[in-house]
Amino acid sequence: MPTSTSRLLLLLPTTTYRTEAFVDAALKLGVELVCASERPSALQELAPEALVTLDFKDPVACSETVARFARRRPIDAVVAVDDLTTVVAAAISERLGLKANSLSAARAARDKHTMRRCLASTGVPVPRFRLIKLADDPAALAEGVEYPCVLKPLMLSASRGVIRANDAREFVAAFRRITAILEDAVSAPADEVHQALLVEEFVPGREVALEGLLVGGTLHVLALFDKPDPLDGPFFEETLYVTPSRLPETAQDRIATVTRDACSALGLTEGPIHAELRVNDRGPFVLEVAARSIGGLCARTLRFGTGLSLEELILCQALGRPLESLERERRSAGVMMIPIPRAGRLTAVRGIEEAAAVDAIEEVAITMHPGQAVVPLPEGWQYLGFIFARGETPAAVEEALREAHTRLHFDIE
Amino acid sequence: MSAELKTRVQELIDSMINPAVAGHGGFVELIDVQDNRVYLQMGGGCQGCGAADITLKAGIERLIKEEIPEVSEVLDTTDHAAGANPYYTPGKA
Repeated sequence: MPTSTSRLLLLLPTTTYRTEAFVDAALKLGVELVCASERPSALQELAPEALVTLDFKDPVACSETVARFARRRPIDAVVAVDDLTTVVAAAISERLGLKANSLSAARAARDKHTMRRCLASTGVPVPRFRLIKLADDPAALAEGVEYPCVLKPLMLSASRGVIRANDAREFVAAFRRITAILEDAVSAPADEVHQALLVEEFVPGREVALEGLLVGGTLHVLALFDKPDPLDGPFFEETLYVTPSRLPETAQDRIATVTRDACSALGLTEGPIHAELRVNDRGPFVLEVAARSIGGLCARTLRFGTGLSLEELILCQALGRPLESLERERRSAGVMMIPIPRAGRLTAVRGIEEAAAVDAIEEVAITMHPGQAVVPLPEGWQYLGFIFARGETPAAVEEALREAHTRLHFDIE
Repeated sequence: MSAELKTRVQELIDSMINPAVAGHGGFVELIDVQDNRVYLQMGGGCQGCGAADITLKAGIERLIKEEIPEVSEVLDTTDHAAGANPYYTPGKA
């Protein structure tokens, strides 16, 4: 079992929000870090044993580069922090013979169509779906679709490019809009995966997010978040996450069971998972199971045992260290991903102190800087900021988050 | 002791660290050295950069501790939220 001098490779895209949390977790655990990004660090030449550049678009090349590195400096575990690097982490781990998700499982979870097919074939409830090609005629496609439906890219995240269509006209408009987003958003738009979209039935109901940790094929549910704001479209901007869930225990149990079945169907066995589900009187439907932890800064809502962060749990699991506790703290917690009111250029944010002064609010973190372009969904790809709360009940947390939000004012020109 | 350490850390910043981060439009300023702890502030492209923590922990702190083993810790006093021109800005993956 790796010791406290373990060396861990962290795959950190330059666009990730998770750098500080994972680096801090590694330091607390006494783990030696090797940080890999897709663009060179400013200090890479001065610290080549700790800072590596990898082409995240080419998992095979990444695994060969790391294998050469590991001959000099053995790696005990590889951790991906975002969607961009889950397949790379699996490829490297496989190359180094480390315990991790298989490459095929990571690939299945990464591509929404592959994931749907896999889950549907094993009886995991998912929305009805079909794959359409960008080369197809959207007007002709629109005639063969049941409405309302949801169109979405196969590999973007956080609702980017996800659009609801209620009729043929809206379908065509959504198709064209997502096509433009893919041209702009991906570095290789001609890749097959970016030349197709998923069209699925719109499933009415409440949406939840399950944060879990797989250890040797067993899924441990770390937290179940309610999303109290309705997500009915046309765009699906996530705002509130509140835990523990206020759904009946039977519904929560069913959500956990379905998520376990989904992980098993995909072949996921190790590491964090973040699952999104819709729940109605027909039961839970899996929208997505991502082989990585919750995005943005939202992990700050989670504390375990004697105060461990989610990132510390993830690193411990990756290194095969004993997990002190997987029990989330007893207090309720929540986060608001601050909704983007309109497009423009952010000039100022007012009311931060007033928002932070609301009872139960722990932190207001604005993650855009003055002068930065603000772009709402479905094109937008950055968070405006986050508000964090802890309280005695989920209702109190939700109320605090909403109150804090009313005190913030964004000057966008 | 702190004064001597401060001088050595400043020399390292001037000769190695700042020339490196300048390539990303950034700079590092030594604020103080107390009880073998180094207090830094990052500016320019480093302030608010999504990779600032990597630069600091895996780069700057590592380098300082290797060259000056008496240093026990390197602490960042930067107000990253006020960064106006970060080199890397975070986004949804």
